[in-house]
Amino acid sequence: MTDSFPVLLAVMASAAFLCRVAGFMLMRFVPVTPRIEAALRATPLAVMAGITALAVQAGGLAEGLALTAVVGLTLVLRSDVAAALLGVVVVAGLRWAGG
Amino acid sequence: MRCSAPYAAVSRALFSYDGFRRGARDGVPLALSIFAYGVGFGLVAAQAGFGVGKAVATSAAIYSGSAQLAAVNLLQTGEATLWALFATILVINARYLLFGAALQPWLWSAGPVRAYGSLLLLGDANWLMTMRKVRAGEEDRAYLAGTGAPITAGWLAGTALGAGAVSVLPRPEALGFDLMLACFAAGMMTAMVKARADLLPVAVGAGTALVVAHLFGPAPAIIAAGLAGAAVAALVHR
Repeated sequence: MTDSFPVLLAVMASAAFLCRVAGFMLMRFVPVTPRIEAALRATPLAVMAGITALAVQAGGLAEGLALTAVVGLTLVLRSDVAAALLGVVVVAGLRWAGG
Repeated sequence: MRCSAPYAAVSRALFSYDGFRRGARDGVPLALSIFAYGVGFGLVAAQAGFGVGKAVATSAAIYSGSAQLAAVNLLQTGEATLWALFATILVINARYLLFGAALQPWLWSAGPVRAYGSLLLLGDANWLMTMRKVRAGEEDRAYLAGTGAPITAGWLAGTALGAGAVSVLPRPEALGFDLMLACFAAGMMTAMVKARADLLPVAVGAGTALVVAHLFGPAPAIIAAGLAGAAVAALVHR
């Protein structure tokens, strides 16, 4: 590895930039039919479910309980931001209690 | 006459300071967790021999925690080629293809400069937040850039702190900050489920993520979840 840091940085930045803009650019050539719209609307839901499922799998009981609490608190409080912040408090507390 | 000012004014979507400010306000809770992630990356970068300047430059140029951690790991092996580095970031950030595609119908109408400028500030957390707002009827395209502002500040400040003060910090895990993104994902997902049909992409996304993560690791799991959810929603749509 003899390349200088600015060269490394430029290569890494261009890869990251390409990912940010490529999907956006390609979608310009896709006609947004109701079917495509349904797919795009479902995408964030599936991604969020995926993130949540992986966090439960990678974590354990504390993480699973905290995320379940977030789902319940969102329904009760009608505020996802408040529920998420409380979820962080729950997991910190459970980890502390679990040593 | 096609490009006359009045035409441009009516054809462009709303992009106002007010929307930017609203986004920035909503982005603050996320910025706290991103700050903690930034500290985490700074610690790792410092251990790999990056100084504060190099660590912050990396955070500014790549602006993606998972990709940066993978890149630093690769650089540490001493056998990284430029192509390997490029390909690693491409694979880890492939989910951004999906993020950009999902935003496109909404964001494009802001005009190219504003749209591409906003994409520079795109991350996992503010993509989720913006998609949720779009679905709830957000019209102001400056909202996305607004959510990115505090997150960027948190990310860079966290990186600098982590790289500069390695030994004196509490671990972010002790405060639960590492679970912040997942907590936001769970909360926003719950708030976005409005009809029984919305539970289908949730189930498909969770299932796909678990299976793909088991077979191929966590990097492709998220994009697979998004693609599977999108495909199923398109298939059942009538």
